[in-house]
Amino acid sequence: MIDSKQASAALSDIDDVVKRVRQSRIYEIASLIIVMWGALLVVTYIVNYMWPRQGYTIWTISNLLGLAITTAVGFFFNIRSGARNFPIRSLITFVLIGAFGAYCSIWLGHFGPRQMTVFWALYGMLFYAIAGLWFGHAFIVIAISTTALTLIGYYYAGSAFLLWMAVAHGGGLIVGGLWMRRI
Amino acid sequence: MAELDDIIHQPLRLKIMAALNALPGSVGLEFARLKKLTGATDGNLGAHIETLSKAAYVTVDKAFVGKKPQTTVTATAAGRAAFARHIATLQEIIAASGGDK
Repeated sequence: MIDSKQASAALSDIDDVVKRVRQSRIYEIASLIIVMWGALLVVTYIVNYMWPRQGYTIWTISNLLGLAITTAVGFFFNIRSGARNFPIRSLITFVLIGAFGAYCSIWLGHFGPRQMTVFWALYGMLFYAIAGLWFGHAFIVIAISTTALTLIGYYYAGSAFLLWMAVAHGGGLIVGGLWMRRI
Repeated sequence: MAELDDIIHQPLRLKIMAALNALPGSVGLEFARLKKLTGATDGNLGAHIETLSKAAYVTVDKAFVGKKPQTTVTATAAGRAAFARHIATLQEIIAASGGDK
């Protein structure tokens, strides 16, 4: 038989492993979604660069597609976990975030295309940073690096801003998501 | 007071069971992921998984993903029940000594 100190140490070991497993599961799901969004953003920025006047249509389609895929991934992981419920709270969260962003940028802000692009990138990264406070430092690293690259592009990339964003924002998310899978 | 489960009590096997028990029912962990989470070496982890498997506490599934072999370890219902009993016993030991001193 063991004493209470050894029992406490064993329970502490268990607690530590459980925390790591939970974080690992969050990273597994999040990395898949982040890489998907990264790929979608690369394509969207390039398409927007080629057809700059169609920005609203292009981004609306892209965001709806991203939302649909994100919801599908969430649903898939719920089924795999045996939960089988539709991730309605996640979907509502995304819709609320999107609606508030649209209200600020379109109706209140009257942003131009360049400001609109940088606003949505920084706005998205704000939620990554907040997620990082709850779910793990990897989100914060992705948020800070993507925010920094976005601001550099905004001030210095000139007419190649959208191409810069394809690499910095879209590519950054792909790299960040793949990195997240390895930690 | 109930006896500790000798199979689970070994430190690495306790970590393996804790990791697998933290997952939902039928979800398992890949060998490489389990190795990272427990900080074990390949040989050590393999040997302890074998012990848990012989006790029917885990199942081991080997499959090929593309050309890569992938081993997935999943806790069985018996393994989860044994782990829960083990935790309860650890808590009893602490409670019997008047708390965590």
